Amino acid sequence: MKTFSSIYQLLATLSREQKLLSELFEKRKILSFSYDYALELVDFDADKISSLIDLSVVRQNGNNIELDDLFLQFFEQVMEVNEEINVSYINEHIESIRQNINYYLQENNEARKYGYLRQVKQALRKIGVIALRNVVDLSRNIDNTFKNEPNYKIKKTKLEHLDDKRNAIYTLINRTDHLVSGDEELTFFKVAADEELNRTIILVKLQLNECRHNLIDIQKQIIEYLNRIKHQSGVIEKLRQIKYLKDQFELRSKTNIRELLAENTAVIFEPNPSYPLQISLDQLQSDNDAADVISKVAKKIKTSVKSTQPLAGNISDEYLETRIEEEVQINLDEVKNSFLAGGNNLFDFICNYDFGKEVSFDECVTIYCQMISQFDTLFKITDNYNLKEDIEFAMVYPK
Amino acid sequence: MPVPKHTSDIFEILSKGQFICSNSCKDSTRKLYNIIDDNFDDLYDYFKSINLVLEKGDEYFMFTRMEHKTELERKLEAAFRWIDILDFFKTFDHSFGAGYRFTPSDVLVKLSVDVDLKNKLDGLKKYAAGKEKHAEILDKILDMLKKDSFIELENEITNSYKTLASFHYMERLIISVNIPESVQNEISK
Repeated sequence: MKTFSSIYQLLATLSREQKLLSELFEKRKILSFSYDYALELVDFDADKISSLIDLSVVRQNGNNIELDDLFLQFFEQVMEVNEEINVSYINEHIESIRQNINYYLQENNEARKYGYLRQVKQALRKIGVIALRNVVDLSRNIDNTFKNEPNYKIKKTKLEHLDDKRNAIYTLINRTDHLVSGDEELTFFKVAADEELNRTIILVKLQLNECRHNLIDIQKQIIEYLNRIKHQSGVIEKLRQIKYLKDQFELRSKTNIRELLAENTAVIFEPNPSYPLQISLDQLQSDNDAADVISKVAKKIKTSVKSTQPLAGNISDEYLETRIEEEVQINLDEVKNSFLAGGNNLFDFICNYDFGKEVSFDECVTIYCQMISQFDTLFKITDNYNLKEDIEFAMVYPK
Repeated sequence: MPVPKHTSDIFEILSKGQFICSNSCKDSTRKLYNIIDDNFDDLYDYFKSINLVLEKGDEYFMFTRMEHKTELERKLEAAFRWIDILDFFKTFDHSFGAGYRFTPSDVLVKLSVDVDLKNKLDGLKKYAAGKEKHAEILDKILDMLKKDSFIELENEITNSYKTLASFHYMERLIISVNIPESVQNEISK
């Protein structure tokens, strides 16, 4: 296996293949990145890829190609997108600080002493940065897990796992704090304290403090998320059981749903109320709009059923047949004219008049009376009387 | 007793058995929510004098009565209906709950890949009398939820619905049903 001989070579190689490497990095979540695609990205120069493989920048796995873990981790950490939270780094650094302090105290050579001191400072700075980054990663991962993990059980386990990580980070921060406060290595921090170390310690303490505050918030977040999941899955679990009982028709008998609902007085269970209020008569009479409304309503309630006029029955044909009945009427006017033209007295004239039919004596008397009552102005009624068939009558002449 | 001038609007909605939710899409409803929130004590006393209890839930308001007015059968019927509907939507998505957004077509698409869901929708047919097509049954169910103000049509163009905070009430009802331990064991077998 070849290794890079200088940092220059490393940077040059990486920059030369930046297209391929950045593509590989972006697609790191996709399990298979085909060798053929990779070839296209390096202008079909297979040598370039094989040299990357030799330098173990990328790894070939069958027909697929992927970034080597070492570089992947490096990129992820530098770009702050790593998903794995590794607390062991801090632990290692704490150990190395302890060892270096030990060497420092035992070493007599000033120059080498200074070297150990430098390593201590370096490790301290790193601890601060790593702790801070871990906290950021943790919070991002928690958020991602809660929002994106579809499986409830896994989501819960993952969050619990992340909570453990949070605990671990918290413990490490406390240990580091303990260390830099000079409680353990009292001598070293008294003896070796120079300006730079003091500054570094203050910086680290500030960073750790920030981490602690963040962690408290993260803890709150995790608790809330876990509670929400618990509530959600609680609801689902409960629902499943209730639905089962309901489908078995046992829900009423085996649970307290009857009592529960009996106590429940929510309005939502009631049918929609209607409030049939009487209309104010005053308003109907005085309001102009009311007339429109009334005519509108009147139109609406017009029934579609047409009221039928009661019809009379057919007139029977019998009634329509023409029947002639003749009756001779005496035309008094005609009689008067004839009488006025003659000179006979009225009663005798009537008795002798040809009426066109048989006229009895009684009828003659009636006609006589009728004539006088109707036309008395045209007649001269004298005081002479005559007698005929036991009837005394006045003698009447035309004027 | 001084009450806000929107009291009649509040009464209008709540007396129909609907909810006033803080996450409603309608500006007016959200405004009413804030008004109730600010004047809760006054309104509580006010409605109490007409035998209605203004209740504050998790981000929603509703009315309950002082005395029992509805028949138990009717309530059971409603509760059973909710159980079926809730079960259907929780099968559709475990996280279905207040604030959840969906479109009927989302549900319909899932139907074709989830037999369980399909069976459950068939089971809901009894609430959508005479409807045979899945889309029609679903529409009917959504309509029922909309009427009880558990969901709201958020966007008419995309036909997307939003689940309101009143959904908590339904969930709370489910949670509060007590299943004896012996029965629970029986179920898990």
